[in-house]
Amino acid sequence: MSDSVVLRTIGGMLFPYILVYGLYVQMHGEIGPGGGFQAGVLVAAAFILHALLFGKELTDRLLPTWLVDLAMSLGVLLYIGVGILGLVKGRYFLDYSVLDPTHPAPAEALGMTLVEAGVGLTVASVILTMVRKVNGESS
Amino acid sequence: MNSAELITALLILAGAFLALIRAVKGPTVFDRVLAVNVFGTKTVILLALLGYIGNRSGFLDIAILYALVNFLGTVALLRFVESRRFFQ
Repeated sequence: MSDSVVLRTIGGMLFPYILVYGLYVQMHGEIGPGGGFQAGVLVAAAFILHALLFGKELTDRLLPTWLVDLAMSLGVLLYIGVGILGLVKGRYFLDYSVLDPTHPAPAEALGMTLVEAGVGLTVASVILTMVRKVNGESS
Repeated sequence: MNSAELITALLILAGAFLALIRAVKGPTVFDRVLAVNVFGTKTVILLALLGYIGNRSGFLDIAILYALVNFLGTVALLRFVESRRFFQ
């Protein structure tokens, strides 16, 4: 199956679309179904499909392990950073209004977008790491 | 929901049930994989139909997502059946 032309062609065509769809779910999550977690799962699914069809080495070259590790910590840092910013400014944890005190509504949208981006980054990289570890131990 | 939509939904559910029977009984593993794939396709169609009935366009997003993940699952299952590992 590793040299199946049909699967490789279809998968190669589908790979960027899954990524774009993950981005759509991430951006559209506030007003539709979806959000950071679902978008992260979709992005991870795209890379898992890539690894299934083209082998792990090519996927590692496309998305190095250190980048996945970095994204994992960066997502948590983004979430905690937005949360702690409220505490630093003397308000509650995850109080979005400190981002722009004069305009609460856009500040809330910005804060939610940042938090969801952090969730998406972390979920995608954690799922990729889990799959990588499980596969490495079972083989 | 009018009766045409109800009959359509029930027919899709019946088809999904038949695919499920094949997935449980299937003599070879390829029958099972194909049955699970058909079941996923039925789910996609049912989700789209539910979105149409309830007039909620958000269901279409879920249907597209399910179709993509269904393809990924079939590929992963076939790869596992073939070589007992997911990646070489």
